[in-house]
Amino acid sequence: MQEHILEVSGLKKSFGDHEVLRDISFSVEKGEIICIIGSSGSGKSTLLRCLNRLEEPTAGTVLFHGKNTESERSRVSFLSKVGMVFQSFNLFANMSVLENCVIGQMRVLHRTRKEAEEKAVFYLEKVGMAPYRNARPAQLSGGQKQRVAIARALCMDPEVLLFDEPTSALDPEMVGEVLSVMQQLAQAKLTMLIVTHEMSFARDVASRVIFMDQGVIAEDAPPEKLFTAPEHPRTREFLGRIINRQF
Amino acid sequence: MVRPATFFGWVELLLNQYGSLFLKGTGITLMIAVTGTLLGFLLGLLVAIVRTVPVSRRDPVYKKIPLKIAHFLLGAYIEVFRGTPMMVQAMIIYYGTMQYLNLRMPVMVAAVVIVSVNTGAYMAEIIRGGIISIDKGQKEAAYAMGMTHWQSMTGIVLPQAVRNIMPSIGNEFVVNIKDSSVLNVISVGELFFMSKSAAGTYLRYFEVFFITACIYLVLTVSITRILRLVERRMDGKNNYTIYGSQSDSKSSITISDAKEA
Ligand SMILES: Nc1ncnc2c1ncn2[C@@H]1O[C@H](COP(=O)(O)OP(=O)(O)O)[C@@H](O)[C@H]1O
Ligand SMILES: [Mg+2]
Repeated sequence: MQEHILEVSGLKKSFGDHEVLRDISFSVEKGEIICIIGSSGSGKSTLLRCLNRLEEPTAGTVLFHGKNTESERSRVSFLSKVGMVFQSFNLFANMSVLENCVIGQMRVLHRTRKEAEEKAVFYLEKVGMAPYRNARPAQLSGGQKQRVAIARALCMDPEVLLFDEPTSALDPEMVGEVLSVMQQLAQAKLTMLIVTHEMSFARDVASRVIFMDQGVIAEDAPPEKLFTAPEHPRTREFLGRIINRQF
Repeated sequence: MVRPATFFGWVELLLNQYGSLFLKGTGITLMIAVTGTLLGFLLGLLVAIVRTVPVSRRDPVYKKIPLKIAHFLLGAYIEVFRGTPMMVQAMIIYYGTMQYLNLRMPVMVAAVVIVSVNTGAYMAEIIRGGIISIDKGQKEAAYAMGMTHWQSMTGIVLPQAVRNIMPSIGNEFVVNIKDSSVLNVISVGELFFMSKSAAGTYLRYFEVFFITACIYLVLTVSITRILRLVERRMDGKNNYTIYGSQSDSKSSITISDAKEA
């Protein structure tokens, strides 16, 4: 039997009377790598933000290992297990790279400084940022910042990692270094939900691709199917536009 | 006694005769300004933290209602203390507690209380401004790891907010050095009060208050300089050292299985 890590059902989200998510249901199994694609404004970010409760859904449920994530009591343990990597990095500007990776471990998981620093250095090495442990975020390039942000998220030992367009704010020559880190995470079988416009990356690493259109999941299929024989006309139209832009 | 004939003659005489009075007044003014600003800052921090606790529609009633009440009361506190003169606040607090609570506060305690509470109201708004100037993303990153509002405030938002509002905090400090003079209405022996008594003997108001003005100016200018230095210290180094070598970036990533339960 497969294990649902996340189970989303009937999720709705409105801002005022603007209905951004309209009845979203899907589930995430352990080890799955799901890429979420779709045009800008289709509600991809809002979906991720509803999963880790940066936004309160208007209706519907998000279950984590079958348990509701709404109650205040389950919040901390749930949130520390669902990591997030943002488009704009969101590193803590007042702290060194190392401190960025340490603070959550100490405050939320109550690890000792020694444990936290060991783990931080371990993951900083994995993303190739250990030499910069004393630098401040303002002193790093975009690609370096995003690699630190990924290390920071990994330090919390997440079960799922959510990525919201992790390479969209990067100069083109830095996209590769971030994608290659994510590729390694994929090989290590970390469960990931990745909102991205990098179609060739999605084709390579995704086990499933979700196409979102105007607040609903229009198509949910393995990459081989979705990219070569999309069912939905909107998917075809979207892919046509993206591919024309890329070449 | 020979009455001096010149301005500087008077200044010299007054300094000789009332030097210790000026010194004492200066000490008390500084004491009130320092503790008042410090306590006011802490009060303002607390008020600002509470006022920025997000209240969402979905929060349970037992959390929402106390928060709403607290937000309302703190808002009223800020309005009242920013909207009335400190001199009037001093009269009301000092004589109010005396007449209705039978509390005879030592004037120094009253002075510190009044300046702190007054400063707290201004600081709360300054700090709130500092907090909302920090981009939302960092707070979201903190929430996303499971930090609480308090943890993200104290660990991430406030250190940056406080750095950014240091100029305004310095301004409050300077204002307090000057405005503690209004406390002479409840006979606090600060610099202005002492100057008035020094001026009384010979009725040399101009010379005395010339000296007083110089002292205030020296105080405010040095405080401003000192705070400038503190700001520079807070900014930290603007370079960093590369740690070790960068040869291990090729090693593969393994994810430790987080399910221990
Ligand atoms: N906090 C908000 N308040 C109001 N509208 C919002 C807010 N966040 C997102 N939206 C709206 O929701 C829609 C979907 O946004 P988003 O989820 O960011 O789309 P995507 O990430 O797919 O580009 C957009 O029309 C956007 O304007
Ligand atoms: Mg988005």
